[in-house]
Amino acid sequence: MSVRGRREHLAGWSFVTPAVILIAVFGLVPVGWSLVLSIQHNDLLTPPSWVGLANYRALTHDPVFRSAVWHTVVYTGLFVPVSIVAALAVAVALNRRIRLIRLYRTAVFVPVVFSTVATAITFNWLLEPDYGLVNYGLERLGLPAQGFFRDPNQALLAIVAMTIWGWLGFDVIIYLAALQAVPRELLEAAAIDGAGRLTILRRIVVPLLGPATLFLVVWSTINALQLFDEVYVATRGGPLHATTVIVYYLFDQAFRLFNGGYAAAIAYSLFVAILALTGIQLWIGSRRVHYGSS
Amino acid sequence: MRPMRIAAAAVLLSLVAAAGCSSGGKQQNATATPGQPAKVVLWHGYTDAEAKAINSLVRQFNASHRDVQVTAQFQGNNDYALQKVLTALAGGKYPDIAYLYGSNAAQIARSPKVVRLTDWVNGGGLPWNDFWPGERAAATVNGQIVGVPALVDNLALVYNKKLFDRAHLPYPTPNWTWDDFRNAARTLTDPSRKQFGWAYVADGGEDTVWRYEAMLWQAGGDILTPDNREPAFNSAAGLKALTLLHDMATVDHSIYLDNGNGNYLGLFDAGKIGMLWTGPWDLADIRDHKVDYGVEILPGDQNHQTISGPDNWVVLDNGKARAEGAKQFLAWLTDPKQLVTWGMATGDLPVRASVSKLPEYAQFVARYPGVGTFTDNLANAQKARPTIANYAKVSEAIGQSVVSVLLGKAQPDAALKTAADQVSSVAGVP
Repeated sequence: MSVRGRREHLAGWSFVTPAVILIAVFGLVPVGWSLVLSIQHNDLLTPPSWVGLANYRALTHDPVFRSAVWHTVVYTGLFVPVSIVAALAVAVALNRRIRLIRLYRTAVFVPVVFSTVATAITFNWLLEPDYGLVNYGLERLGLPAQGFFRDPNQALLAIVAMTIWGWLGFDVIIYLAALQAVPRELLEAAAIDGAGRLTILRRIVVPLLGPATLFLVVWSTINALQLFDEVYVATRGGPLHATTVIVYYLFDQAFRLFNGGYAAAIAYSLFVAILALTGIQLWIGSRRVHYGSS
Repeated sequence: MRPMRIAAAAVLLSLVAAAGCSSGGKQQNATATPGQPAKVVLWHGYTDAEAKAINSLVRQFNASHRDVQVTAQFQGNNDYALQKVLTALAGGKYPDIAYLYGSNAAQIARSPKVVRLTDWVNGGGLPWNDFWPGERAAATVNGQIVGVPALVDNLALVYNKKLFDRAHLPYPTPNWTWDDFRNAARTLTDPSRKQFGWAYVADGGEDTVWRYEAMLWQAGGDILTPDNREPAFNSAAGLKALTLLHDMATVDHSIYLDNGNGNYLGLFDAGKIGMLWTGPWDLADIRDHKVDYGVEILPGDQNHQTISGPDNWVVLDNGKARAEGAKQFLAWLTDPKQLVTWGMATGDLPVRASVSKLPEYAQFVARYPGVGTFTDNLANAQKARPTIANYAKVSEAIGQSVVSVLLGKAQPDAALKTAADQVSSVAGVP
């Protein structure tokens, strides 16, 4: 390497050093530390003791953890497909030149800018069973009032609806950008060959959106598996643990009951699950998604 | 040469940043040297009127005490004070005095850094018997005093006079029974107006639990056995209390179930809820909304016990000089003279009984209508929640049972049994 090359190499590293230190200290160290924590009995207060895999074994017998896993799976299974399909529909609708299109696009994105806490507080009142606007509307239409966050059978669905509303705009923006990258000549060629709008959408647009869809599936799945804020604010995991998802349960164990080791074991189990799931998604994606239109 | 110089600058910058962090910490942890005043750092979660009051009292103390200088620091919301103090303890840089909820006393007391105050108090450092019984119990863990009472409150019956008048109901009296209460709640309930007689926080948290615990005590029951090792709430008294909640929620439908977001207060202010079991902290908001309200002690069964939620100033060990300074400040802060100033500024109840003998106390009661009833009600706070480190787990079990009954998902006896089984497995663990 020339002197000049070496100097530039050194300069490059010097510039990233602060960021690397930050990531190491606030990212990698905690990741390693929580692995250590997960094989300890640690109440974050008194000296810890080593317990090997006891925390992980306890997880397998914990009915609340099992239900938290189930709630997380149900949530993810609903949130990811519904939000992506809805986002595609909205993005297609917004991908045209009509009056006030900027206004519509902004409106769709606004909920993403809202803090999740504000979203949850707003929905807490909208879906309030006795005084909320939604039940008022239902009653005016002659439909029965619903329990929403108060009903253990509906609370998780209400969280799904609320978070889809909150995050839809993000997916829409990604799809809009991808839609505008679809080459016009392909669409025109298909139209000349006699393809209808639905056929064009299904056979040309959706496949070309593959990379965006793959990104959204991976990203939304990771986010859904780590759901916390909205649950914390809207329901605190209730009623009767009906919305206790994995990360909420982790928080509860770590910071209310001070079972630090147990909480770390939950975190690690989730980490491994997300890693595996993302790996599978990317592997499927690599076979099904093709990049570039050339 | 250019890249080299920038590289050096970048490395230097990160070094300075790192050094800056560590030197700031050292300064805070330095112990007092002879001739220098002991520097005492106090963490609190006060805002608005209370923040002004604590800062003003600290200034007053610092001006009159040369040997101890206190710095009051806002730590954010008190709900997570324990988590923040634990983090600070783990990091090795912590305040000398921290405001902590009474329900956290047993947890924080497990830390060896918590200064035990028993000898100081017994040696005349604080007139301990002038503090309310509930406060003393909440500051004592395994016979050791681990905190100085910082705040005391209790639950009383706060009611909307207008709703009572409209229903032609007489106002609550100190002799109200559970039946009187239940009947009034039913009469005040009017589905056509979306009006409820009572509100209950049904999130399963401590807010759910402590109201039930007051009822349990009123019926003559207890939470745990005297040795704190076994559940005692699955008794006839426990069943009676839970059955009252069950009947009011699922038969009369006279309870508005709050999901823990505090909706009940706005609804009370709006005249949608007739009665609350709440503490003095809600009075300011109710008064601001011009509600014509009254305060009465809780209705009763065997007795009219209430539950108090005392909070503590906990002293943490940063060396002898600073700990002594912290004690000196706390003794001054809880002197009746300062307490009445504090009460006038904030509306908080006096943490010591003798405050009510001061001439200024009459002004305090006149300034905050209803607060006198809350102060008198402290005499009804005869029991305290068990100060055991596992109380959070006991609370969790009771909370879920109460919610399952309120939502009509379980019968009182079955719910109590479930909770008792869960508590049996955790309460005995020291």
